[in-house]
Amino acid sequence: MSWIRLQPQKPGPRRIGGIELQTVSAPRPDSDSLWKVALGGLKGMLGGMKLTLGYVTHPSKVVTQQYPENRETLKLPERARGRLYFVKEENGFHRCTACRICERACPNESIIIHAHKGEVTKKPEIDHYVWRLDTCTFCYACVQTCPFDAIRFDGRFESAVYDRRLLVYNLNDYAGPHDTLARKIEDEEQRASCRTPVRPYEGPVPASGEKLHGIEPLGPPRGEDE
Amino acid sequence: MTPKTLTLQDLLRTDFAPGGGTQEYFVNMGPQHPATHGVLRLLLKLDGETLRQVIPVLGYIHRGIEKICEHQTYRQIVHLSDRLDYLSALANNWCVTRVVERAAGIETNERIETIRTLMAELERLQSHTLWWGVFGMDLGAFTPFLHGFRDREELTQIFEDTIGARLTMNYIQPGGLLHDLHKDFAPRVRAWLKDFGTKVDEYDRMLSGNLIAQKRLVDIGALSGDEALGLGATGPVLRASGVPWDLRRVRPYGVYDQLDFVVPVGEKGDCWDRYWVRIEEMRQSLALCETLIENIPEGKTMLVKPAAKIRLPEGTFYEELETPRGIFGVHLHSRGKDMPWRFHFRSPNLHNLWCITKIAPGARVADIVAMLAGLDLIVPDMDR
Ligand code: SF4
Ligand code: SF4
Repeated sequence: MSWIRLQPQKPGPRRIGGIELQTVSAPRPDSDSLWKVALGGLKGMLGGMKLTLGYVTHPSKVVTQQYPENRETLKLPERARGRLYFVKEENGFHRCTACRICERACPNESIIIHAHKGEVTKKPEIDHYVWRLDTCTFCYACVQTCPFDAIRFDGRFESAVYDRRLLVYNLNDYAGPHDTLARKIEDEEQRASCRTPVRPYEGPVPASGEKLHGIEPLGPPRGEDE
Repeated sequence: MTPKTLTLQDLLRTDFAPGGGTQEYFVNMGPQHPATHGVLRLLLKLDGETLRQVIPVLGYIHRGIEKICEHQTYRQIVHLSDRLDYLSALANNWCVTRVVERAAGIETNERIETIRTLMAELERLQSHTLWWGVFGMDLGAFTPFLHGFRDREELTQIFEDTIGARLTMNYIQPGGLLHDLHKDFAPRVRAWLKDFGTKVDEYDRMLSGNLIAQKRLVDIGALSGDEALGLGATGPVLRASGVPWDLRRVRPYGVYDQLDFVVPVGEKGDCWDRYWVRIEEMRQSLALCETLIENIPEGKTMLVKPAAKIRLPEGTFYEELETPRGIFGVHLHSRGKDMPWRFHFRSPNLHNLWCITKIAPGARVADIVAMLAGLDLIVPDMDR
């Protein structure tokens, strides 16, 4: 065999299944003299080496990302599906009406909504909006279907932990009515008191990076500085 | 006549070289072998260095996706199809979308179809660049791996801009597209395409033109066209065997009927042909993308409400299309609910895998790596 010259061969139509389509054929080795083979082989090898050396002498063409050193400057695109968060209005109220559309749209039951009927508003109010990152497949269905634009994904992607229970999040930081509902409450005092603070990890599944029964807080890694 | 099915035990007991001199033995390749690109286990029956038989053993990454699909709405199924052949996630999305749209009678517009076609072609490039890099690495050349990934990364970032995901995209959905194109999409794609034109030539200089690489590929693992058809092989594997069956041409979908491109085919169906067919496909896809990016019409990108329920009429529906690895088909049986009663994927890799049982016997152990790389297998697609 010999060195193959990389030229498409035999361009032309071919018939298959009663249809005619244009094809080109792969080049095949032809029988050359040993000299030509050696020359071709050498040429091929030198061509490859020249290319590599070209990159050595032109480091500006190298594209390596210096992660994690570039953490400060690394910005993911705005549509990146990193972590789910609740959209907050300026007054601190969220937009979720507890309508459960996202819960139904989720293919993995990664969203679990706990709601109650508000005493003042007489409408459903979120207690816990539980998002299970551990079962989430980042399909975007929840954000896509939410009619109130209450949840969004952002670019936080370093979510790895040592315990999967830490991947159960509570998205809302208060239990209570959403923004539009809260605006309807006339009484200033009542409006302020309708919010009960909720900590990030307080879902029905025990999950906490902080202080929760049975789970140690994740401190600095042990055994390194000692 | 009912065909005789052999169990693994039967195969192990079979004496394939009766009266032969040397002793045969078995070696496991995988399920954790780097050249199998996933958890594929190949049981090799060897006679010295010569392969006598290859028995693929599947099941290490079976997730029961088809069963899960029976409990998912049609919109949710789309995101599961990402998880089959993850390097052709968009093509898989599109296939599920097509079958649902046809069954539900959802009409799309020209913009949606053009973007879908463009995305599918870009993904073909993305998939083939990765394949090329890994192919080089499997042959023992590490530099192509880095170059392949470098060019793929740019494209991945372009996808990330528009779609928000890098691998499991879930972008093409019944009724349209998840997002409209990002404002940077067209300029970035144009720049990438311009750049990539020179990169394919670099690929040629680095690997295709190398005598050692050629020696390792030519006449290794030849598969005739009839055999390939008999095994159900599709995509570049089939075309390398000389059968120019490309669904984009013979049964056009999307806007492929308005596009002009040639189908690269091989002659002998050996590893070299499979390699060259993919390289040439990259050039063809490149030209297609260059045409498509300039011709995206205006229009809406989502025609149904995302939260709306999609119910399909009773019946059985099938659609197929050409992914970077071959024909991907979706067969669904509906009983009128918003979930399918039975769902089946016809995945290209399962059929392409079986070619290894035909082409490997008689070859050397080192060649099986080149053959696997030439078949371009994705294991989660076979096992589902
Ligand atoms: S996040 Fe949106 S869809 Fe989900 S319950 Fe709240 S308002 Fe409804
Ligand atoms: S992204 Fe998908 S899987 Fe994750 S919570 Fe939203 S709907 Fe569920």
